[in-house]
Amino acid sequence: MSRLLSADFAKLRKHKFFWFCMIGMFLFGIFMAAMDYISTLQYGDYEAQLTNVLFIYTLAVSILIPAFVSLFVGTEYSDGTIRNKMIIGHTRTSIYLSNLIVCSAAGLGLCISYMIGAFAVALPLYTIDPGILPGAAILVLCSFLMSIAFTALCTITAMLCQNKALTAVINILAACCLLVISIYIMSRLRQPEMYSGYTLNTETGEVEVSEDIPNPDYLRGTEREIYQFFNDFLPTGQAVNITSQIELSQSPGLLAAYSAGIIIVSTGVGMFVFRKNDIK
Amino acid sequence: MDYILTARSLGKRYKNFKALNDFSIHVPQGAIYGFVGKNGAGKTTFIRLVCGLQEPSVGSYAIYGTENNDPGISRCRRRMGAVVETPSIYQDMTAEENLKEQYRIIGLPSFDSIPELLRLVGLENTGKKKAKHFSLGMKQRLGIAIALAGNPDFLILDEPVNGLDPQGIIEVRELILKLNREKGITFLISSHILDELSRLATHYGFIDSGHMVKEMSAAELDAACRKCIRVQVSDVRVLSRVLDEMNLEYSILSDTMADIFARINVSQLALALADQGCDIISLDEREESLESYYVNLIGGGNRNE
Repeated sequence: MSRLLSADFAKLRKHKFFWFCMIGMFLFGIFMAAMDYISTLQYGDYEAQLTNVLFIYTLAVSILIPAFVSLFVGTEYSDGTIRNKMIIGHTRTSIYLSNLIVCSAAGLGLCISYMIGAFAVALPLYTIDPGILPGAAILVLCSFLMSIAFTALCTITAMLCQNKALTAVINILAACCLLVISIYIMSRLRQPEMYSGYTLNTETGEVEVSEDIPNPDYLRGTEREIYQFFNDFLPTGQAVNITSQIELSQSPGLLAAYSAGIIIVSTGVGMFVFRKNDIK
Repeated sequence: MDYILTARSLGKRYKNFKALNDFSIHVPQGAIYGFVGKNGAGKTTFIRLVCGLQEPSVGSYAIYGTENNDPGISRCRRRMGAVVETPSIYQDMTAEENLKEQYRIIGLPSFDSIPELLRLVGLENTGKKKAKHFSLGMKQRLGIAIALAGNPDFLILDEPVNGLDPQGIIEVRELILKLNREKGITFLISSHILDELSRLATHYGFIDSGHMVKEMSAAELDAACRKCIRVQVSDVRVLSRVLDEMNLEYSILSDTMADIFARINVSQLALALADQGCDIISLDEREESLESYYVNLIGGGNRNE
């Protein structure tokens, strides 16, 4: 497989869309950190925190990874070059894994590119509290695993669907749908359990205090558990969570475990079906 | 005879459609094997199976004597190259970059032989021009160069001259002949352009409806398609005697019919036969081309595929 990895990484180095995304993510990192700093200067009521902007890349890569994987792997089918690999005797497992590894590395590259951009602005301008660094490092690792899990899911479609355009449409649409679903799930989970009561001064000068009112939209019991599961399990849910620094998540360890599960199961299923697939 | 590729009772089914049915083939070492069949006959399906792009539904094939279900088949495939349907090339790369990529896939340690390979296929002057801007003939030759990257001794070309202009056809033909003669590469060439194939092939296999109808050498085909005079007479024994006296090569087809494989003086033959009381009923010159041979063999184009 080392020969395939060498060939696929060489192809990645020449991939224009990859470098376009890398530069875009770097500039995005600079932009987000600079904008956050400017807003603290304008409003001045809080200090610029690196963690406010550091994890925004998780949402951006949720759209970029499907597009990149579709183009990178889809080209193998549209140009017919996947046949060259099979004809000279590479196994389908090696071909699948090689594509997955290279696409995962590209996805991590996009994350790191954003972080370098954000750090380039944050290091000279922000006050970085060393206490937050261990927590931030754990979240970065979770985001890396989330990125690989997302790549693994996109790789299934890209390796099994032999039409590059259809692959791109399926992957990008699925990513958008999952993102919307995850944002909806998060908004439902964020619903307060009770609406706080109000205090009212009546005309007679009396102070009327109402009790807290239960929120009918608050999720309870099994329903809340199901929402919570998808919030933690879906890669897009994890992206939303990591961006908000695991505000509503159970724990970073659980996110990492779910990501690892997605990577293993999706790769296993993808390789099994790919081995049976007729290549044209 | 040593065979590079053989197949036994091979079958491939797509849902309810049998693309290959009880198919067999024998490709001798050093041959240019013309794989002839109309569109949809199963040529490309067989090539896809041999290249490992698809798995057979039933039966087996062997490359260099190694069966397809043997784990060693992957190692055998390293000794072969193929261009299946369209050339498999990265459109956004130059010819040299495409070859470098293939060298990496194969695991060749050095790119030193790339200029020679480009020269061999006549693409040494393409420079930074990307493959997407190549003509069809150039793409086809680049596809062949990629297939040649691992120094294979067996090359499979699926419709190599399809869509090429006359110049492109000549270039590809000359390249195939050169590789076969100078490097001893065995070719399996599928085509339905029979005239072109007849200029190259040393062996033929005729496929129809997923089944191998006949395999033969070019010499056997030449004999079957030989120019002759078909003569119908009242008594073929008299004809035989007269032709023996004239020292002419012939073959008896029936009690009244024979083929004469020589230029004859018709008046002289007619007089000699008349002397022995034999009448000439009809006489016509025949020459069967590969095309007409194929049509006779397959039975025209009205079969359901």
